[in-house]
Amino acid sequence: MKTNNTEGCGLCNATWGEYWREIDGDNMYFCCNICADIFETMVDKVKESTGWKKIDYVELNGNYSSGRECEARNGEDSFKYYFRTYSNGKFITFEKR
Amino acid sequence: MRCPTCLIHIDGGYHEISEHIFSMQEKTDADHITWINRYVSRNRTTEDEFEKLVKQVFETDDLKTWIIRKFIGKFFSKNPHYFLLKMQRPDRWTLLGYAYEHHHFLKQWVKSCSMIIANTDFEEIHHYEIDNIISEWHGEEGRFPAHHELLLKMGKSYGATLEDIYNTEPLEPTIHAVKTWDYICRNFSFVEGMAAMHSLELIANRKMKDYGASVGYFDPVILKDGSVTKETVDFLREGYEADVSHSEAALDLIEKYAARLNLVQEVQAVFFRSIEEFDNYLNARIERGVMIENEQH
Ligand SMILES: [Zn+2]
Ligand SMILES: [Zn+2]
Repeated sequence: MKTNNTEGCGLCNATWGEYWREIDGDNMYFCCNICADIFETMVDKVKESTGWKKIDYVELNGNYSSGRECEARNGEDSFKYYFRTYSNGKFITFEKR
Repeated sequence: MRCPTCLIHIDGGYHEISEHIFSMQEKTDADHITWINRYVSRNRTTEDEFEKLVKQVFETDDLKTWIIRKFIGKFFSKNPHYFLLKMQRPDRWTLLGYAYEHHHFLKQWVKSCSMIIANTDFEEIHHYEIDNIISEWHGEEGRFPAHHELLLKMGKSYGATLEDIYNTEPLEPTIHAVKTWDYICRNFSFVEGMAAMHSLELIANRKMKDYGASVGYFDPVILKDGSVTKETVDFLREGYEADVSHSEAALDLIEKYAARLNLVQEVQAVFFRSIEEFDNYLNARIERGVMIENEQH
Protein backbone atom coordinates (compact mmCIF):
# COMPACT_ATOMS: atom_id res chain seq x y z
CA MET A 1 0.00 0.00 0.00
CA LYS A 2 1.35 3.43 -0.93
CA THR A 3 0.91 6.70 0.95
CA ASN A 4 1.90 10.29 0.27
CA ASN A 5 4.55 9.92 2.98
CA THR A 6 7.30 8.90 0.62
CA GLU A 7 10.35 9.90 2.67
CA GLY A 8 9.68 8.18 5.97
CA CYS A 9 7.13 6.61 8.27
CA GLY A 10 3.95 5.56 6.46
CA LEU A 11 1.86 7.45 9.00
CA CYS A 12 3.85 10.53 10.06
CA ASN A 13 6.68 10.68 7.48
CA ALA A 14 9.36 10.92 10.19
CA THR A 15 12.67 9.37 9.30
CA TRP A 16 13.71 8.29 12.80
CA GLY A 17 13.58 4.74 14.08
CA GLU A 18 12.97 1.69 11.94
CA TYR A 19 9.94 -0.49 12.41
CA TRP A 20 8.51 -2.72 9.71
CA ARG A 21 5.07 -4.23 9.64
CA GLU A 22 3.17 -6.16 7.01
CA ILE A 23 0.01 -4.28 6.07
CA ASP A 24 -2.20 -6.01 3.50
CA GLY A 25 0.71 -8.11 2.26
CA ASP A 26 3.10 -5.14 1.88
CA ASN A 27 6.03 -4.68 4.21
CA MET A 28 5.70 -1.06 5.33
CA TYR A 29 8.18 1.20 7.10
CA PHE A 30 7.15 3.10 10.25
CA CYS A 31 9.14 5.19 12.74
CA CYS A 32 7.80 3.17 15.69
CA ASN A 33 5.28 0.53 16.70
CA ILE A 34 2.70 3.15 17.71
CA CYS A 35 2.57 4.65 14.21
CA ALA A 36 2.26 1.09 12.84
CA ASP A 37 -0.59 0.34 15.27
CA ILE A 38 -2.42 3.52 14.28
CA PHE A 39 -1.96 2.83 10.57
CA GLU A 40 -3.11 -0.77 10.89
CA THR A 41 -6.22 0.19 12.88
CA MET A 42 -6.95 2.98 10.39
CA VAL A 43 -6.80 0.49 7.48
CA ASP A 44 -9.21 -1.83 9.32
CA LYS A 45 -11.61 1.03 9.96
CA VAL A 46 -11.53 2.16 6.32
CA LYS A 47 -12.26 -1.39 5.15
CA GLU A 48 -15.05 -1.71 7.70
CA SER A 49 -16.61 1.58 6.55
CA THR A 50 -16.33 0.87 2.81
CA GLY A 51 -16.54 -2.90 2.52
CA TRP A 52 -13.36 -2.81 0.39
CA LYS A 53 -11.08 -5.84 0.35
CA LYS A 54 -7.97 -3.80 -0.42
CA ILE A 55 -6.68 -0.22 -0.37
CA ASP A 56 -4.24 0.99 -3.05
CA TYR A 57 -3.27 4.37 -1.73
CA VAL A 58 -3.81 6.65 1.28
CA GLU A 59 -3.24 10.38 1.36
CA LEU A 60 -2.75 11.73 4.90
CA ASN A 61 -2.70 15.41 5.87
CA GLY A 62 -2.43 16.88 9.36
CA ASN A 63 -0.62 15.82 12.49
CA TYR A 64 -1.03 14.10 15.85
CA SER A 65 -2.46 17.20 17.49
CA SER A 66 -5.15 18.40 15.10
CA GLY A 67 -5.77 14.92 13.70
CA ARG A 68 -5.40 13.68 10.12
CA GLU A 69 -7.64 14.40 7.13
CA CYS A 70 -7.30 11.46 4.77
CA GLU A 71 -8.38 10.03 1.47
CA ALA A 72 -8.11 6.32 0.71
CA ARG A 73 -8.35 4.96 -2.83
CA ASN A 74 -9.28 1.57 -4.16
CA GLY A 75 -9.17 1.53 -7.96
CA GLU A 76 -11.59 4.26 -9.05
CA ASP A 77 -13.26 4.50 -5.63
CA SER A 78 -12.31 7.02 -2.99
CA PHE A 79 -13.18 7.44 0.70
CA LYS A 80 -12.54 10.59 2.71
CA TYR A 81 -12.20 10.44 6.49
CA TYR A 82 -10.68 12.06 9.54
CA PHE A 83 -9.17 10.56 12.67
CA ARG A 84 -7.40 11.49 15.90
CA THR A 85 -5.71 9.28 18.46
CA TYR A 86 -4.13 9.45 21.89
CA SER A 87 -0.34 9.37 21.91
CA ASN A 88 -0.42 5.65 22.72
CA GLY A 89 -2.31 5.07 19.48
CA LYS A 90 -5.81 4.53 20.89
CA PHE A 91 -8.43 6.09 18.61
CA ILE A 92 -10.43 9.05 19.89
CA THR A 93 -12.28 9.85 16.65
CA PHE A 94 -12.72 8.21 13.26
CA GLU A 95 -15.31 9.74 10.98
CA LYS A 96 -16.32 9.90 7.33
CA ARG A 97 -15.81 13.32 5.73
CA MET B 1 20.41 16.07 33.41
CA ARG B 2 17.14 14.27 32.99
CA CYS B 3 15.56 12.51 30.01
CA PRO B 4 12.40 14.39 28.92
CA THR B 5 10.74 11.08 28.01
CA CYS B 6 11.61 8.35 30.51
CA LEU B 7 12.72 10.85 33.21
CA ILE B 8 15.84 8.91 34.17
CA HIS B 9 18.71 10.89 35.65
CA ILE B 10 21.75 11.07 33.40
CA ASP B 11 25.20 12.14 34.57
CA GLY B 12 26.92 14.61 32.28
CA GLY B 13 25.68 17.26 29.87
CA TYR B 14 23.99 17.63 26.50
CA HIS B 15 26.34 15.09 24.97
CA GLU B 16 25.22 12.36 27.37
CA ILE B 17 21.53 13.28 27.27
CA SER B 18 21.41 13.35 23.48
CA GLU B 19 23.41 10.11 23.33
CA HIS B 20 20.75 8.44 25.50
CA ILE B 21 17.85 9.74 23.40
CA PHE B 22 19.62 8.90 20.14
CA SER B 23 20.32 5.34 21.27
CA MET B 24 16.68 4.87 22.33
CA GLN B 25 15.69 6.04 18.84
CA GLU B 26 18.04 3.45 17.32
CA LYS B 27 16.19 0.84 19.35
CA THR B 28 12.95 2.21 17.83
CA ASP B 29 11.54 3.16 21.23
CA ALA B 30 8.18 4.76 20.44
CA ASP B 31 8.09 7.21 23.36
CA HIS B 32 11.54 8.69 22.70
CA ILE B 33 10.83 8.90 18.95
CA THR B 34 7.58 10.69 19.72
CA TRP B 35 9.47 13.29 21.74
CA ILE B 36 12.04 13.78 18.97
CA ASN B 37 9.30 14.12 16.32
CA ARG B 38 7.30 16.58 18.37
CA TYR B 39 10.03 18.77 19.83
CA VAL B 40 13.25 18.35 17.85
CA SER B 41 12.69 17.34 14.23
CA ARG B 42 10.99 14.70 12.14
CA ASN B 43 14.06 14.35 9.92
CA ARG B 44 16.82 11.97 10.89
CA THR B 45 20.21 13.58 11.42
CA THR B 46 23.68 12.36 12.34
CA GLU B 47 24.35 11.85 16.02
CA ASP B 48 26.55 14.98 16.15
CA GLU B 49 23.89 17.10 14.48
CA PHE B 50 21.29 15.65 16.83
CA GLU B 51 23.30 16.76 19.87
CA LYS B 52 23.33 20.33 18.53
CA LEU B 53 19.57 20.26 17.98
CA VAL B 54 18.89 18.88 21.47
CA LYS B 55 21.05 21.60 22.97
CA GLN B 56 19.08 24.20 21.00
CA VAL B 57 15.80 22.83 22.33
CA PHE B 58 16.88 23.22 25.95
CA GLU B 59 19.26 26.16 26.00
CA THR B 60 17.74 29.34 27.45
CA ASP B 61 18.62 32.18 29.77
CA ASP B 62 14.95 32.90 30.43
CA LEU B 63 13.22 29.78 31.77
CA LYS B 64 9.85 31.42 32.34
CA THR B 65 9.55 32.60 28.74
CA TRP B 66 10.86 29.24 27.51
CA ILE B 67 8.07 27.44 29.38
CA ILE B 68 5.40 29.83 28.08
CA ARG B 69 6.64 29.52 24.48
CA LYS B 70 6.77 25.74 24.56
CA PHE B 71 3.33 25.60 26.17
CA ILE B 72 1.88 27.84 23.47
CA GLY B 73 3.54 25.75 20.77
CA LYS B 74 1.95 22.64 22.20
CA PHE B 75 -1.59 23.79 22.99
CA PHE B 76 -2.27 27.24 21.51
CA SER B 77 -0.60 27.13 18.09
CA LYS B 78 -2.46 27.74 14.84
CA ASN B 79 -3.72 24.18 15.31
CA PRO B 80 -4.87 24.49 18.92
CA HIS B 81 -5.54 21.46 21.06
CA TYR B 82 -8.88 19.90 20.20
CA PHE B 83 -10.21 20.48 23.71
CA LEU B 84 -9.58 24.22 23.33
CA LEU B 85 -11.48 24.20 20.04
CA LYS B 86 -14.38 22.50 21.83
CA MET B 87 -14.19 25.03 24.68
CA GLN B 88 -14.69 28.06 22.43
CA ARG B 89 -18.43 27.18 22.35
CA PRO B 90 -18.67 24.24 24.73
CA ASP B 91 -21.66 21.91 24.64
CA ARG B 92 -23.04 20.17 27.72
CA TRP B 93 -21.18 16.91 26.92
CA THR B 94 -17.79 18.59 26.82
CA LEU B 95 -18.50 20.34 30.12
CA LEU B 96 -19.73 17.12 31.71
CA GLY B 97 -16.62 15.28 30.50
CA TYR B 98 -14.60 18.13 31.98
CA ALA B 99 -16.32 17.77 35.36
CA TYR B 100 -15.91 13.98 35.57
CA GLU B 101 -12.24 13.79 34.63
CA HIS B 102 -11.13 17.04 36.27
CA HIS B 103 -12.41 15.90 39.63
CA HIS B 104 -9.65 13.25 39.58
CA PHE B 105 -7.10 15.76 38.32
CA LEU B 106 -7.84 18.06 41.26
CA LYS B 107 -7.69 15.21 43.76
CA GLN B 108 -4.13 14.60 42.57
CA TRP B 109 -3.44 18.32 42.43
CA VAL B 110 -3.84 18.82 46.16
CA LYS B 111 -1.64 15.79 46.84
CA SER B 112 1.02 17.12 44.47
CA CYS B 113 1.00 20.52 46.17
CA SER B 114 1.39 18.81 49.54
CA MET B 115 4.33 16.74 48.33
CA ILE B 116 5.99 19.87 46.99
CA ILE B 117 5.63 21.38 50.48
CA ALA B 118 7.04 18.23 52.06
CA ASN B 119 10.07 18.30 49.76
CA THR B 120 11.35 21.75 50.71
CA ASP B 121 12.17 24.01 53.65
CA PHE B 122 11.72 27.24 51.66
CA GLU B 123 8.85 29.03 53.36
CA GLU B 124 7.82 31.07 50.33
CA ILE B 125 7.14 27.76 48.58
CA HIS B 126 5.05 26.59 51.56
CA HIS B 127 3.01 29.80 51.47
CA TYR B 128 2.53 29.59 47.72
CA GLU B 129 1.34 25.98 47.80
CA ILE B 130 -0.94 26.47 50.83
CA ASP B 131 -2.57 29.40 49.08
CA ASN B 132 -3.00 27.23 45.99
CA ILE B 133 -4.52 24.35 47.98
CA ILE B 134 -7.01 26.73 49.56
CA SER B 135 -8.15 28.17 46.26
CA GLU B 136 -8.20 24.88 44.32
CA TRP B 137 -9.45 22.45 46.93
CA HIS B 138 -10.54 23.93 50.23
CA GLY B 139 -11.99 27.37 49.67
CA GLU B 140 -12.50 29.86 52.44
CA GLU B 141 -15.72 29.71 54.48
CA GLY B 142 -17.90 32.74 53.77
CA ARG B 143 -15.39 34.28 51.38
CA PHE B 144 -14.97 32.08 48.32
CA PRO B 145 -15.67 28.49 47.30
CA ALA B 146 -12.90 26.15 46.16
CA HIS B 147 -12.30 25.61 42.46
CA HIS B 148 -13.21 21.97 43.06
CA GLU B 149 -16.58 22.91 44.52
CA LEU B 150 -17.32 25.13 41.53
CA LEU B 151 -16.39 22.25 39.22
CA LEU B 152 -18.82 19.89 40.94
CA LYS B 153 -21.56 22.52 40.73
CA MET B 154 -20.94 22.88 37.01
CA GLY B 155 -21.31 19.10 36.62
CA LYS B 156 -24.51 19.13 38.66
CA SER B 157 -25.95 21.95 36.55
CA TYR B 158 -25.82 19.55 33.57
CA GLY B 159 -27.45 16.70 35.45
CA ALA B 160 -24.49 14.81 36.95
CA THR B 161 -24.78 13.67 40.55
CA LEU B 162 -21.99 14.10 43.07
CA GLU B 163 -22.17 10.41 43.78
CA ASP B 164 -21.69 9.51 40.13
CA ILE B 165 -18.74 11.89 39.69
CA TYR B 166 -17.06 10.44 42.78
CA ASN B 167 -17.79 6.82 41.86
CA THR B 168 -16.78 7.00 38.20
CA GLU B 169 -13.27 5.69 37.59
CA PRO B 170 -11.22 8.11 35.51
CA LEU B 171 -10.35 7.10 31.95
CA GLU B 172 -7.01 5.42 31.33
CA PRO B 173 -5.19 8.57 30.07
CA THR B 174 -6.30 10.43 33.21
CA ILE B 175 -5.06 7.58 35.43
CA HIS B 176 -1.74 7.52 33.56
CA ALA B 177 -1.29 11.27 33.88
CA VAL B 178 -2.25 11.36 37.55
CA LYS B 179 0.22 8.55 38.32
CA THR B 180 2.99 10.38 36.48
CA TRP B 181 2.38 13.63 38.37
CA ASP B 182 2.27 11.70 41.63
CA TYR B 183 5.56 10.00 40.80
CA ILE B 184 7.29 13.27 39.85
CA CYS B 185 6.13 15.20 42.91
CA ARG B 186 6.86 12.31 45.27
CA ASN B 187 10.33 11.45 44.00
CA PHE B 188 11.88 14.52 42.38
CA SER B 189 12.96 17.89 43.78
CA PHE B 190 10.22 20.34 44.80
CA VAL B 191 11.09 22.65 41.91
CA GLU B 192 10.59 19.85 39.36
CA GLY B 193 7.28 19.02 41.04
CA MET B 194 6.26 22.66 40.74
CA ALA B 195 7.22 22.70 37.06
CA ALA B 196 5.18 19.56 36.39
CA MET B 197 2.04 20.97 38.00
CA HIS B 198 1.99 24.74 37.88
CA SER B 199 3.10 25.14 34.27
CA LEU B 200 -0.23 23.47 33.40
CA GLU B 201 -2.15 26.40 34.87
CA LEU B 202 -1.07 28.37 31.82
CA ILE B 203 -3.92 26.62 30.00
CA ALA B 204 -6.47 28.95 31.61
CA ASN B 205 -4.27 32.04 31.71
CA ARG B 206 -6.12 34.78 29.86
CA LYS B 207 -2.85 36.50 28.97
CA MET B 208 -1.84 33.65 26.66
CA LYS B 209 -3.14 35.61 23.68
CA ASP B 210 -0.77 38.45 24.57
CA TYR B 211 2.05 35.89 24.50
CA GLY B 212 1.06 34.75 21.01
CA ALA B 213 -1.68 32.14 21.50
CA SER B 214 -4.07 31.77 18.56
CA VAL B 215 -7.10 31.24 20.85
CA GLY B 216 -7.96 31.63 24.53
CA TYR B 217 -9.06 28.85 26.86
CA PHE B 218 -12.62 29.74 25.90
CA ASP B 219 -14.33 32.58 24.10
CA PRO B 220 -15.17 35.12 26.88
CA VAL B 221 -18.49 35.75 25.12
CA ILE B 222 -19.83 32.55 26.73
CA LEU B 223 -19.58 34.23 30.14
CA LYS B 224 -22.37 36.57 29.01
CA ASP B 225 -24.40 35.10 26.18
CA GLY B 226 -26.38 32.52 28.16
CA SER B 227 -25.05 29.57 26.14
CA VAL B 228 -23.75 27.80 29.26
CA THR B 229 -25.21 27.43 32.77
CA LYS B 230 -24.63 30.02 35.47
CA GLU B 231 -22.58 27.42 37.37
CA THR B 232 -20.32 27.04 34.32
CA VAL B 233 -19.83 30.79 34.19
CA ASP B 234 -18.94 30.78 37.91
CA PHE B 235 -16.45 27.96 37.38
CA LEU B 236 -14.79 29.38 34.28
CA ARG B 237 -14.69 32.94 35.56
CA GLU B 238 -12.97 31.88 38.76
CA GLY B 239 -10.22 30.11 36.83
CA TYR B 240 -10.07 32.93 34.32
CA GLU B 241 -9.31 35.44 37.05
CA ALA B 242 -7.35 33.32 39.55
CA ASP B 243 -4.97 31.37 37.37
CA VAL B 244 -3.15 34.40 36.00
CA SER B 245 -1.58 35.16 39.36
CA HIS B 246 -1.17 31.46 40.19
CA SER B 247 0.60 30.25 37.12
CA GLU B 248 2.81 33.26 36.65
CA ALA B 249 3.85 33.56 40.29
CA ALA B 250 4.68 29.87 40.15
CA LEU B 251 6.80 30.32 37.03
CA ASP B 252 8.75 33.06 38.78
CA LEU B 253 9.42 30.72 41.72
CA ILE B 254 10.35 27.85 39.40
CA GLU B 255 12.78 30.08 37.52
CA LYS B 256 14.35 31.38 40.74
CA TYR B 257 14.86 28.01 42.41
CA ALA B 258 15.81 26.09 39.26
CA ALA B 259 18.68 28.54 38.78
CA ARG B 260 19.66 28.50 42.43
CA LEU B 261 19.63 24.70 42.67
CA ASN B 262 21.13 24.19 39.21
CA LEU B 263 18.11 22.23 37.99
CA VAL B 264 17.09 24.15 34.87
CA GLN B 265 17.41 21.23 32.43
CA GLU B 266 15.71 18.87 34.89
CA VAL B 267 12.79 21.29 35.19
CA GLN B 268 12.54 21.46 31.40
CA ALA B 269 12.61 17.67 31.09
CA VAL B 270 9.83 17.25 33.63
CA PHE B 271 7.85 20.00 31.93
CA PHE B 272 8.05 18.14 28.58
CA ARG B 273 6.77 14.95 30.14
CA SER B 274 4.02 16.77 32.01
CA ILE B 275 2.62 18.51 28.92
CA GLU B 276 2.52 15.18 27.06
CA GLU B 277 0.44 13.72 29.89
CA PHE B 278 -1.72 16.84 29.98
CA ASP B 279 -2.34 16.59 26.23
CA ASN B 280 -3.70 13.06 26.67
CA TYR B 281 -5.64 14.08 29.75
CA LEU B 282 -7.41 16.91 27.86
CA ASN B 283 -8.40 14.35 25.23
CA ALA B 284 -9.82 12.17 27.99
CA ARG B 285 -12.16 15.02 28.97
CA ILE B 286 -13.50 14.96 25.41
CA GLU B 287 -13.74 11.17 25.33
CA ARG B 288 -15.68 11.15 28.61
CA GLY B 289 -18.09 13.73 27.20
CA VAL B 290 -18.67 11.59 24.10
CA MET B 291 -19.25 8.53 26.31
CA ILE B 292 -21.86 10.38 28.36
CA GLU B 293 -23.53 11.67 25.18
CA ASN B 294 -23.70 8.14 23.75
CA GLU B 295 -24.87 6.72 27.07
CA GLN B 296 -21.82 4.46 27.28
CA HIS B 297 -20.91 5.98 30.57
ZN1 LIG C 1 5.65 7.68 12.59
ZN1 LIG D 1 14.88 8.34 28.16
